[in-house]
Amino acid sequence: MKRRVKTMIGSKNCDDPIIDYKSTEYLEKFLTPQGQILSRRRSGFCTQCQKQLKTAIKRARHVGLLPFVG
Amino acid sequence: MTQLYETMVLLDNDVVRSDWKKAKAIVTDTVSKYDGTLETCRRWDERRLAYAMNNKHRATFYLAYHAMPGDNIPGFLRDLELNERVLRYMMLRVEECPEEERKLAAEEDGSEYTVPEPPDDDLIEVEEEEVIDPHEDVPTDVPAEASATAPEPPREN
Repeated sequence: MKRRVKTMIGSKNCDDPIIDYKSTEYLEKFLTPQGQILSRRRSGFCTQCQKQLKTAIKRARHVGLLPFVG
Repeated sequence: MTQLYETMVLLDNDVVRSDWKKAKAIVTDTVSKYDGTLETCRRWDERRLAYAMNNKHRATFYLAYHAMPGDNIPGFLRDLELNERVLRYMMLRVEECPEEERKLAAEEDGSEYTVPEPPDDDLIEVEEEEVIDPHEDVPTDVPAEASATAPEPPREN
């Protein structure tokens, strides 16, 4: 049985500009419709960049730029 | 030890509408009160919030880069916390102030800059709930037939 591979949003996202909590349009791409952060497998980030993404999204949520849920 | 910080403050739109200088002073005065040195400060944006804060749907985001001695940080944060006009704040330690921020702040300081009026739909309409008083008098005009004792149910043998 073939394993279904989910498509990545971008395979080389690590080359993107610095992840900042103020760039909400960019961060929204890495959220599910429910507001959850995409996994590394789906976001295409390396470990360090995924950590930066997580921190940036959580900061944006704190100041009300991104939703916690949906 | 003095460090450089980036502080994002969410200001109540009511203050911004009434007086922009007064709204700005909430941050600038607090920074100077705690021996801080402002590098740049500007109105970052006025946006709809992802979730309501203090019954407000919208807020003005004010971004400041400032240096401050580490010992004064708790007092500074406490002042922001206690200010009712500040919906929320976030303070981050940064290495340097971005050059783009300096340019944008300089543009804002110019005489030609005018603060756009925030939209009016920032307030959540709270519906007033009807309060039921438990000690309210029970109506006394009950008919005599209704108030009579109910007939006893037939006994089973």
